[in-house]
Amino acid sequence: MRALVIDDSRTMRRIVSGVLKSMGFETVEAGDGRQALDVLESGTEIDLACIDWNMPVMNGLEFVTSVRQNREWRDMTLMMVTTESEQGQIVRALAAGAHEYLIKPFTPDAVRDKLQLLGLVDLEESA
Amino acid sequence: MSMDIDLAAFAGTDPIYVITEEVFTAMIDGEEGYLRHWDGPAPVILDPMHAWVDVNGTTSGRVLLTTERGTADELARALLQMTPDEPVSPEDFVDALGEVANVVGGNVKSLVPEPGVLTLPQVTQERPPTLPDALIYELALDWRGRAVVISLWKLP
Repeated sequence: MRALVIDDSRTMRRIVSGVLKSMGFETVEAGDGRQALDVLESGTEIDLACIDWNMPVMNGLEFVTSVRQNREWRDMTLMMVTTESEQGQIVRALAAGAHEYLIKPFTPDAVRDKLQLLGLVDLEESA
Repeated sequence: MSMDIDLAAFAGTDPIYVITEEVFTAMIDGEEGYLRHWDGPAPVILDPMHAWVDVNGTTSGRVLLTTERGTADELARALLQMTPDEPVSPEDFVDALGEVANVVGGNVKSLVPEPGVLTLPQVTQERPPTLPDALIYELALDWRGRAVVISLWKLP
């Protein structure tokens, strides 16, 4: 499984990538939504995208909207990983096509729980 | 930013403290118990570093984290899971401290009615300009014996 970690903070990219690698994911990183689209357009196959909301150039919501407009990427799982925790923002992201929503700060267990819900990590594997 | 924060949701505890403790526990320390209220007179912060985010909306405010340079260095090292003797690059230092302010600020924003938009974090040695009477709230914390101050400011 390959995950694309999209966050303008290199610190957060490192943290999220570390958690995903511990669960067996290969990771690719992007500093904003535009860079992430470049990764996808290059043909790199991605199973899971972990997406920050507030980023320069192209924010996470714009990225989700762009991905959902391209049928080639319809099988990719999209999970917002963000400080935007108001209910209205969560609804907006899910309506745009995100599958799950994880609020910062998070623990590795919280990431694992979300990925289990999404069927990307099984219980035995994560135990 | 108004101070119409829903205190009831926090069962009488200080919501800013609860948020900051959650951030430090989850992102920095990996377990509870290393962050507490500062005991005694307000800490004097020498060689300060400031990290902040603004909330721009119907009313606007700033969430500011202030600590000593050495403490900021330790925060960055803990956040990046670096060894005690591993040097922190200037880029990692700014990014890590900014991300702490970003996560604290983003969660504070969720407490405010009609909160608006969160700006990207900024980190400077110079204190960002604020009006003298614009301080809404200040919380002095003790992280592993070092002072960390979180403050909320009204913006024009």
